[in-house]
Amino acid sequence: MREGFDNVEWLARTRAEGDVEAWLAMIPYARRIGVSAVSDPQGEGLLFRLDPREGNVGNVLLPALHGGVVAAFMETAATLDLMLATRAPRLPRIVDISIDYLRTARVAPTLARCSLLREGRRMGNVHVCAWQESEAVPVATARLHFVLGDPAKPGA
Amino acid sequence: MTHGQTPSDADWRRALTRFVTVIPHTRELGLEVLEVTPEGTTMRLPWCDDLLGDSARELVHGGVLAMLLDTVCGSAVLPALPAPEVCPTLDLRVDHFRPAVAGRAIFAEARVVRVTESVVFTEGTLWQETGRPLARGIGNFVRLGPRNTPQGFAEALFAEENDHA
Repeated sequence: MREGFDNVEWLARTRAEGDVEAWLAMIPYARRIGVSAVSDPQGEGLLFRLDPREGNVGNVLLPALHGGVVAAFMETAATLDLMLATRAPRLPRIVDISIDYLRTARVAPTLARCSLLREGRRMGNVHVCAWQESEAVPVATARLHFVLGDPAKPGA
Repeated sequence: MTHGQTPSDADWRRALTRFVTVIPHTRELGLEVLEVTPEGTTMRLPWCDDLLGDSARELVHGGVLAMLLDTVCGSAVLPALPAPEVCPTLDLRVDHFRPAVAGRAIFAEARVVRVTESVVFTEGTLWQETGRPLARGIGNFVRLGPRNTPQGFAEALFAEENDHA
């Protein structure tokens, strides 16, 4: 069986098993920047982590992580979280993202937690909060809209 | 460029090339500055397989587009200021019109809409094929001012090619 988001059986199985690792393996850019997922010690969902690697630096003077890399991390987190949280298997396709940079993201581990604020029949709205030392001191927040594609339909 | 002169478009192209080459993330991806004019800044991201967000369907990660827009909008800010200042991103909005596909370079263009005392407002566009935009970005950047800009920032941008001072 060919693995991939466009394979309905593979998607349903990996989702039932909560195999986010299998999903990340299909997302080269997320691997390049060092995104991983762990089960949330405080709840049922996931916590996402961005590895503080040299290649993610966007400002060498401070130094600080690239704001665009932080956005890519938060988009990955929102997509994976949504794929697990929906009522049925869905293939999210991003419509828009709006990100607020609240503080300088240092070259340190960055964590993110997502909330699915609305799951409609066609659209989903996800909120993401990212922080470093303390969740009470976020470095960035984002909100995203996704089209919730039906994996059984080609071109979803 | 000799001291005291206004940088030409070619000076700015070299300065922004230096800017994106010093940034580890964009240097490693091979981002190029194609053109800098008063109307805008244009860049080109060459294809590499790490840009994928979906290996099976061969689609580019949406985050690559956000990263590119942040970079091109943030770079376009510099020539629009009276003197180079460090300007972190305040916020960024990206609208995804269609997915970017594997195997093709991505072009990025940004322009400054307005400069105030404290903020620079920008907008940017991405495409792989002319006339078919992939995404639109709106980025606002905070002016830290000369006081919070590290000494030598402007000099570093305009240093001569073989001058490692």
